Amino acid sequence: MRLALISAAVVTVLTGLAGCTSSTGTTTIPSVTAAVPKPANAADLTAPPSAAVQECGDKLASLRPLNPMPKPGAMPGGSTMEKIVQRGKLIVGVDQNTYNVGFRNPFTGDIQGFDIDMARSIAAALFGDPDAIQLRAVTSDQRIPMLKSGEVDIVVRTMTITCDRLVDVNFSAVYYEAQQQVLVKKNSGFTGMDSLGGKRVCATKSSTSLRNIANAPSKPIGVSVSDWTDCLVMLQQGQVDAVSTDDVILAGMAAQDKYTEVVGSSVAAEPYGMAIPKQNVDFVRFVNGVLEQVRANGTWKDSYGRWLDGLIPGPPPAPPVPRYKD
Amino acid sequence: MTITNHRAARNGPLRQVTELTRTTPGVLGALALLLVVVGVTAGVFTAVSVQRRAQALADLATRSGPLSVAAQEIYRSLSDADATASGAFLAGGLEPPAVRARYEQDIAQASNALAIAVAAREPADVTAPGSPLTTLSGQLPVYTGLVETARVNNRQGLPLGIAYQREASTLMRTQLLPAAQQLYDDEVGRVSTDQNRAGEFPFTELLLGLAVLGVLVVAQVYVRRRTNRVFNVGLVAATGAAVISLVWVSVAAFSVISSVDDSRIDGSIQVDVLARARIATLQARTDETLTLVARGTGKVYEDDFDQVSMSLTGLLNEAMGKVTDGAVSTRVASARANTEAWLRAHEELRKQDDGGNYAAAVRLAIETVPDGTSTAFNKLDTDLREAIGQTRAAFNARIRDASDALGGTVVVVSLLAAVVAVGATAGLWQRLKEYR
Repeated sequence: MRLALISAAVVTVLTGLAGCTSSTGTTTIPSVTAAVPKPANAADLTAPPSAAVQECGDKLASLRPLNPMPKPGAMPGGSTMEKIVQRGKLIVGVDQNTYNVGFRNPFTGDIQGFDIDMARSIAAALFGDPDAIQLRAVTSDQRIPMLKSGEVDIVVRTMTITCDRLVDVNFSAVYYEAQQQVLVKKNSGFTGMDSLGGKRVCATKSSTSLRNIANAPSKPIGVSVSDWTDCLVMLQQGQVDAVSTDDVILAGMAAQDKYTEVVGSSVAAEPYGMAIPKQNVDFVRFVNGVLEQVRANGTWKDSYGRWLDGLIPGPPPAPPVPRYKD
Repeated sequence: MTITNHRAARNGPLRQVTELTRTTPGVLGALALLLVVVGVTAGVFTAVSVQRRAQALADLATRSGPLSVAAQEIYRSLSDADATASGAFLAGGLEPPAVRARYEQDIAQASNALAIAVAAREPADVTAPGSPLTTLSGQLPVYTGLVETARVNNRQGLPLGIAYQREASTLMRTQLLPAAQQLYDDEVGRVSTDQNRAGEFPFTELLLGLAVLGVLVVAQVYVRRRTNRVFNVGLVAATGAAVISLVWVSVAAFSVISSVDDSRIDGSIQVDVLARARIATLQARTDETLTLVARGTGKVYEDDFDQVSMSLTGLLNEAMGKVTDGAVSTRVASARANTEAWLRAHEELRKQDDGGNYAAAVRLAIETVPDGTSTAFNKLDTDLREAIGQTRAAFNARIRDASDALGGTVVVVSLLAAVVAVGATAGLWQRLKEYR
């Protein structure tokens, strides 16, 4: 009897210990949803960007060019141009993402395009050397801050002249006249901004295009990104239904993706100017002088022919006619 | 037993037990029972406790230890893959075959280490929401898909390629690397937990051993008073076995504790500092590359580089203070020298880039020129890899020492517990027989 008690006690202790080995459970395999990758800083527009459509008279009228223009390397003493020449390089804010306007050529790694040709003519006028130039890739929303801080001398980056930007910076005379349009996938059925009500439409942050999307009567949903090519990535990945910006930028996207097309009539006119820090009035006049030369000596026409002619339908346009106030 | 039978018929069981304890045979019987129960229980619990310690050491050697290495390898190879893939876009044209090979090697290494990390966990751990393993295994294929899309577009001369590469890099920096970091932190936590388990003070073992001895002493004192015999062979044998068991377990436990302490000092603490230094190195390298890719507007990356490189210097100094081995010390000293060389090269690179000599800056960053950043970075990475390898080896050796110290303890403790039970029962049974 006692032996039975003892063995019972031992058995109890042992089984208690054995009980420590874990109980088995069943694992259900949860269904996961694929997380779609997004470009950096891609965001849906919650509120339309401040529509600061101020009245500022003729915004396209720039300052009259220097006459006579100084010879390369012989800039007037104390001028902005002289400072740049002494530094040895013209620092230009450009795009490296807009095909055939300002883009990084994958074969060479160099930044090229229509905007870059324009910037190089300014370097040529300053130094006599179009390569005396430092190209800094800026995003749309970095353009004005970098001009204000003096990190760049000039921005040549598909920049539309607007009244609210004129508060912060000066613009050269118009050097290209773009029209905002819409890029969609072929056979998507979209015919223009009017048919994109409630659809997601991409543009870069702080661009006039984004504001125009937000203010379109059809009420599309604006999606903002850092660089224009990010919009094409999102269109290809099905994260947006359309891209809306200037025809010249859209033409570059359509050239990279044969399954897309530019549709609809112009949403808004987008006259491009080169932006220059507010205080450098002499440089604005100098640049306008360079643009006069560029238009007159065929550089503009050649550059258009090289980069844009095949992309944009219709015969090559004449260079824009400048307007000046004093 | 027969003497209690007629009483048991009249009285209740409680009464029966009380009556029993008043008689000498009753007490002897109770003592025998107590000794068997205490002896066996102590043996079982001590064996279990030793076994738990051994299990913790086995985990350190085969699970948490290797897994922390796997987690670090995942971070390293992912980070290096991204720096390499982004760097391929710095120079024009197709990436050199060596760059592509390095990227492919990194991805292969990351997938393999990830498979090991996943296999070691319970399915429920892997499927838990927010588990770093879910993020890593779900997003790594997406990342490689984006990189290939980037390459295809680049091959066709389209600037779209670099946009895909940027998206891939964003995915890496915002999802994959934080998950890899979390996984690494988790695994390092596990190593520490296992070390605590293995190096626990042997309270249970000591208390149980002393309890057995206590009961044996009481039994012997009682037997001596009642029987006037100084020694009871069975009880003496049981006491001897209990003493041996206690000493054996204590010696084993304390040498394990000492070895586990060494495994921290010579191993895991140093490995952790060095691993964090390596992660900082990789971050700084990615920052350097992305600053150049951003082409003039990479201030956010450059600021991060400054911050990360500062913490890298701090970590290397910390590592130097903790080094316990000559070979590792040489490696860490070399790592410090190479960090300085890198920072000097980086300064020159920034000067070139900020001065508008982008091509010269790129050459410093990607080509294996003597004063280039990639040369210094690769040397630094090698130093850290070697130093980590050597401290890992020290960690493994200490854990092996600890395991060796426990070798055979479970068997010995179980046998000795049996000796205690049998000896005590036999010794008391001898006396009990005199009352029949």
